[in-house]
Amino acid sequence: MSALKEKERTIQRPEELAPGRDFRYIGQRIPRADGPDKVTGRYDYLADGRYDKALVGVVLFSPHAHAKVRSIDCSRALAMPGVRVLTWEDAPDVLYNSGEWFPGQNDHPDERVLTGHARHVGDRIALVLAPDERTARIARGRIVVDYEVLLPVVDPEGAREAPEALHEDGIREFPGTIAFGDVEGAFASAAHVEEDVIVTPRIHHAAMEPHAVFAAPRPEGVLELHTPCQILFGIQQTVAKVLNLPFSKVRIIKVPMGGSFGGKQEAVFEPLCAWAAMTLHRPVLIVTNREESIAATRVRAAAVGRVSTALDADGKLLARRFDVTVDAGAYLSGARKVLMAMGKKTSRLYRIPAVEFAGRAVRTSTTPSGACRGYGSPQIHAITEIHTDLLCRRLGYDPVDFRLANLVHPGDSDPSGASDLGNARIIECLTRGAERFGWDHRSKVLSWGRWRRSAGFACCTHGNGYAGTIYHDVTEVSVRIMEDGSVVVRTSLHELGNGTLTAVAQIVGEVLSVPLDRIVVTEGDTQFTGYDIGCQASRVIYVCGESARLCAEQAKELLRSEAEKLWGCPTTYENGELLVGGRRLSLGEAVRAVETKGGTSVDVHLTYSPDRNPGSYGVHFADITVDTCTGLVTVNDFLAVHDVGQAINRNFVEGQIYGGIQMGLGMALTEELAFDAKGRPSARNFDKYHMFNAPEMPPIDVLLIEKGEPGGPYGAKSIGEIATVPTAPAVVNAVNRALGTEMTCLPLTPARIVEALAAL
Amino acid sequence: MKIEFVVNGESCAAEVDSAMRLIDLLREELRLTSVKEGCGAGECGACTVLVDGEPVCSCLVPAVQARGRDILTVEGLAKDGQLSVLQQAFLDCDAVQCGFCTAGMILTAHALLMKKDNPTDEDIRTALAGNICRCTGYVPIERAVRAAADRIRAARS
Ligand code: FES
Ligand code: FES
Repeated sequence: MSALKEKERTIQRPEELAPGRDFRYIGQRIPRADGPDKVTGRYDYLADGRYDKALVGVVLFSPHAHAKVRSIDCSRALAMPGVRVLTWEDAPDVLYNSGEWFPGQNDHPDERVLTGHARHVGDRIALVLAPDERTARIARGRIVVDYEVLLPVVDPEGAREAPEALHEDGIREFPGTIAFGDVEGAFASAAHVEEDVIVTPRIHHAAMEPHAVFAAPRPEGVLELHTPCQILFGIQQTVAKVLNLPFSKVRIIKVPMGGSFGGKQEAVFEPLCAWAAMTLHRPVLIVTNREESIAATRVRAAAVGRVSTALDADGKLLARRFDVTVDAGAYLSGARKVLMAMGKKTSRLYRIPAVEFAGRAVRTSTTPSGACRGYGSPQIHAITEIHTDLLCRRLGYDPVDFRLANLVHPGDSDPSGASDLGNARIIECLTRGAERFGWDHRSKVLSWGRWRRSAGFACCTHGNGYAGTIYHDVTEVSVRIMEDGSVVVRTSLHELGNGTLTAVAQIVGEVLSVPLDRIVVTEGDTQFTGYDIGCQASRVIYVCGESARLCAEQAKELLRSEAEKLWGCPTTYENGELLVGGRRLSLGEAVRAVETKGGTSVDVHLTYSPDRNPGSYGVHFADITVDTCTGLVTVNDFLAVHDVGQAINRNFVEGQIYGGIQMGLGMALTEELAFDAKGRPSARNFDKYHMFNAPEMPPIDVLLIEKGEPGGPYGAKSIGEIATVPTAPAVVNAVNRALGTEMTCLPLTPARIVEALAAL
Repeated sequence: MKIEFVVNGESCAAEVDSAMRLIDLLREELRLTSVKEGCGAGECGACTVLVDGEPVCSCLVPAVQARGRDILTVEGLAKDGQLSVLQQAFLDCDAVQCGFCTAGMILTAHALLMKKDNPTDEDIRTALAGNICRCTGYVPIERAVRAAADRIRAARS
């Protein structure tokens, strides 16, 4: 077995890491501001707080995938001191869509805070409240529900044909199409047409912190809600809709979060918690455990994608046709948006004159899907990149040369009409990556005994916000230079654990030359911080980071010009000081003077809306060994190459990449939340849901391409989502290459591999 | 039932019952909320604490088993406001993202370094096998443990 790992997995020393360059703070390895609290256990997540006078709510979840409640007997629960029960019969008859984050988006509403018609295992029937969690859980166990069990629909294809629709709205599917160019003509004239069907799994986000939320009625009819979420104003509008309150009376406060990856992006328990608090006139805390967060929150949507490619005789792409089914799960949630996001990627990686993307989101009797790191990007790239490797093999093309001949170039436009691609450095990612990885020799198939070893790679793209899409992209930010020269940056950002707040502090610190320990960047609170459309769509650095840079520039100029006015002599801002005539003034002195003598505070508010949305790009390379007896895959080595424009914080960028690879390896090989014919989930907890742990991880080499992206702060663009996008297809391509198989159903579990080998 | 034990160097007494887990005792009775519950099933390591120097999943251990034991949580690592070498290394190596796995990771690594002052890289990875991190891909965590081991040894010699 030792032959398997000729490369030592040596852990790098801190001093061996590539240093930052060029800037004071940008691109450096700056420690995150919340680090000291996190390593000492003082960073309190929602469930760590004390909530006096609060009732603790536990949800009574349906054990059936499809059932109607005939009756519910809560008497034994209510007999316990302090216990209250709210059932679906008490709940407002308001339908909402958890994936809608702006009023008027018209995402089809089909979900209620509680329901008497359970549509998946884990659907919410009642909320049991007690002074403490233990009592609430015991009380929940005493409730007797009589269900009429109905036939579930588990297979998304089946959902289109089921005799009866799962929802009263009678809708079977939510279609979506994107099309441009002469697809028909391209296929008619093609020298080659290749087709594959790729299946990607339903995946649990597995943020280590399970979902939790707290709501309290406040004076003047205000509902206050604390949540570790990603889109404050999206939560606000959903809660307002359910409670029939004006937005101004719904205050959402972002609290510390133990990971999200999109899992806490949609409104899951927030509307329920808010409604319970308002109904009972009591603060309500809902803290879930892992079983509940797996069954009853959101998952990455499973997808089935049929892709056909038309090529000319030289291997140039002429057109692609897609037929994609996205499994929304029990409620539509964000699934149709995910479908469309998948389609939007198909014209941004390769130069392609014509595309026809047709798909649909369908509802099944399974856990609802929703946003998940990449928002459809991992799914669509699994579909196209696995297919691309297979078509190369079948037609005898080299997979690197084929891609190099077809990949987009910097400055290309998107033929679908979306935003231009910007400084798209995918070709550089691939050529430099292939060289660094040693693709030429690693891609050879080695075979000894029962083992096969080879390598694979996959390319990808992802966006930087919403410019050029049907959604608006707006953010507000304020920078105030205070009377001692320290700085507060008021934003509606959400720290997800990725270092957002520190990264924004670096940007502001760079502009103002203020030390980072004198800068505070706030998270969002809908009553005190400005509007922002949310920490989604890979827009935080490119859009919110740029808005912070612009705002800091304006604050700097305001202070300089006010000082110039006040002292009546030429004034410049240098190195965090003002040079007034020949005199040096500290920021604090200058701010105090313009405030007291000039009557102006240095507080700039900026609303920013980007006019571009370039692509980020990346290539992952995986070196793997397969044991053909057991079907087990070992990932021996890994290289991630990413076109990030400019790293704001090297540690954070690399951290996103390492974490993204961990998730992507799971998607490739181990992670799948399956459902049996009765709609029961294969995994209730982590014992049946395997994520890569430390010994299973390969060594990871990271190569950053930093050529600057116009419109981003200091040339930066996104990394957090794209980091996980090419991992799975890279691994699948490696396994298919090593074995000569054409496996297209993810994850490649040992059973699937053994089966594919048997069929060879 | 009343039990006595030591937590982070201090003697404690608490009333426990058979349904109470060690994690409940620590989080709810003693307010040591660095101890996190990620799965409640012994699968993620977020709830790791050291009992007599051994890492255990406090979500699996009945509270009553704390009787007479010496328990360490992350709250007890920093001495006089001074971070432990491991905590500092976690900061230096950016081994913390969302932070939810961090306390468990640090304690697991702490137990390793107490036993082996010169662990191999393989020792480090193996020790961390029961702790899941969804954010960091483990790479910076492994680096932090490596760096801490190196620093502790360097300080000794
Ligand atoms: S919470 Fe104890 S191991 Fe996960
Ligand atoms: S830092 Fe988030 S789970 Fe490890």
